[in-house]
Amino acid sequence: MKTQTKITLLFLIPFLIVLSLFSGFVYYSFLNYSHNDFFRLLELRAITAGKIELDDNTTTNSKEIKELRDQFFERLPQEKDYFFPLDKAESYHDESKLLGLPFSFFESVIKNGKADFRKNNTFYKGIIYYSKKGRYIVVASAENYYELHHSAYLKRTLFFSILAAFIISAVTSFYFSKYIFKPLQKITERVNQISSENLHLRLDETNKNDELNELAMTFNTMLDRIETSFETQNNFISNASHELRTPLTAIIGEADVILSKDRSHEDYKEAIQIMLVEAEKLEGKTRALLFLAQTGFNGKTQKFEKIRIDQVLMDVKETLERINQKNKIHLDMSLLPENYDMIKVNGNEQLLHLAFSNIISNGCKYSDNQTVNVALGASNNSVFIVIKDLGIGIPESELKFIYDPFFRASNTKNYEGYGIGLPLTRNIIRMHRGEIDVKSIQNQGTTVQINIPMYKI
Amino acid sequence: MKKTILLPTDFSIESLTVLKTVLSESATEEKFDIILLHGVHLTDSITDLLFYSKKKIINQFVSEEFNEACSVIQNKYASKINSIRKDIFTGFTQSAFNNYAEATRIDEAYLPEQHQWHFDKRKSFDLVPFIKKSKLSVQQIGWNSNHNIPEKGKVAEIFFNGVPSHS
Repeated sequence: MKTQTKITLLFLIPFLIVLSLFSGFVYYSFLNYSHNDFFRLLELRAITAGKIELDDNTTTNSKEIKELRDQFFERLPQEKDYFFPLDKAESYHDESKLLGLPFSFFESVIKNGKADFRKNNTFYKGIIYYSKKGRYIVVASAENYYELHHSAYLKRTLFFSILAAFIISAVTSFYFSKYIFKPLQKITERVNQISSENLHLRLDETNKNDELNELAMTFNTMLDRIETSFETQNNFISNASHELRTPLTAIIGEADVILSKDRSHEDYKEAIQIMLVEAEKLEGKTRALLFLAQTGFNGKTQKFEKIRIDQVLMDVKETLERINQKNKIHLDMSLLPENYDMIKVNGNEQLLHLAFSNIISNGCKYSDNQTVNVALGASNNSVFIVIKDLGIGIPESELKFIYDPFFRASNTKNYEGYGIGLPLTRNIIRMHRGEIDVKSIQNQGTTVQINIPMYKI
Repeated sequence: MKKTILLPTDFSIESLTVLKTVLSESATEEKFDIILLHGVHLTDSITDLLFYSKKKIINQFVSEEFNEACSVIQNKYASKINSIRKDIFTGFTQSAFNNYAEATRIDEAYLPEQHQWHFDKRKSFDLVPFIKKSKLSVQQIGWNSNHNIPEKGKVAEIFFNGVPSHS
């Protein structure tokens, strides 16, 4: 069932229930009132009849009453009066059979002085009348004209008003739900239009601060992300093929030139040397790419264990200083927490080693071997690693591209590199559920702040 | 020895340098209760005052980074720090401040030597004149203030800001 119909029904059903309860209550209370009223009327009639028929005085009084009755009391349909002398020995079986009334009716008259009975539409009221001739049971009966006509009329009115209300509310709720779901339908249509060819399309946002606008905004930010990742993917492929082709072209070119004629032994040697360098570059690039691809997965194959970050950093420092004697790395442990459990994280040592050495060697490289400061600290939930260099920095406008594979900032022309280190590092930090934040001022330096959630027992 | 010290702050990471310096220069057996105090103009609106909550006001000023940086320092000097409390002072007069200092039993106050406060003048005010006029023993702490650093406003700022390291 569509939500639209569901909403219509949800709106209608309670409304109908309330309406029918309401009219049912009105109908039955009216009926009840009309019955009571009619019994009171019959009682009056019974007393009047008793006065006329049983009080045997032929004075004007009785006549007057009779006249009055004929004049002002409307004749009720099937109006009949019965008189039975009240006798202790009498059991009223015959009478009850005669009138078709239950025996209990008479009993209750004798006991309480009056009784009501109703058979189909005929109402009976019995009273005890004290006349001069003795006690009598007077039974007045008539058909309830009011019920016959009024209640039928009431029933009809209620039925038609419910029907009208139902139709009106059905129509309103239908339009109402349509109105609510209109923007949703719009969103669906719009989202259906968007495919990989036209990812730039966005949903219309209004200024209203409602849930549907929020939905549209969420969709739009999601589309933003998808679009950027699509673009990164596209750029990645073109960049990667370009990066891989450059050394290959060099190798092929070199080989072509050297094979074009006979050369001396030294020339061959030199050429092969160049080819080797280029091939090594190619190898380095493919290895980096492979690593990037591996870490890009959800990292289920990597084994995670409890490791101390300060040890990893010391290892990195040692390795980097061994690789290049000119690297100067200063480990600043001044804010190391007193409790060493606080610098333990759940991680993979090789990966973290790779991540930190990427960042730190970048720092060394782009600061022309000035000292790189590496500091370590811990807040209550995460371990902070801060790497600060005084190098060339990253232009502010290019900061947002630094995680794109093969992206290299415009001021790095004089430095070697593939542009894979930072995306790789970010992948690794993400695998550790950490955050990496790069801040930089061009020509002043770069500060990389990494925080990794602390190992919790 | 236990000491309660008062540090005026604008809840910037840089202002924590005072705390870092005080702690790094203190003797090993000392223990501190630290109050980071910020002067706040209270609102005039009666409805705002009706729902006044000190915590809410402090949370308006304090950033996530500041809290993290605080806890970095707290973890570093875990054995020296008894407590760190962020508080606001809303008084107008010198005697109000003196009362506050007496009530919270402040032993010493430390001021930054040349730090420029970074706060909204409509919401906050400078506590330094009050502290200087009060009878508290006041010490000035100075450091190489450098406004133009890449990590400004990040937790990283607390790691490198001119305080000599001891490693």
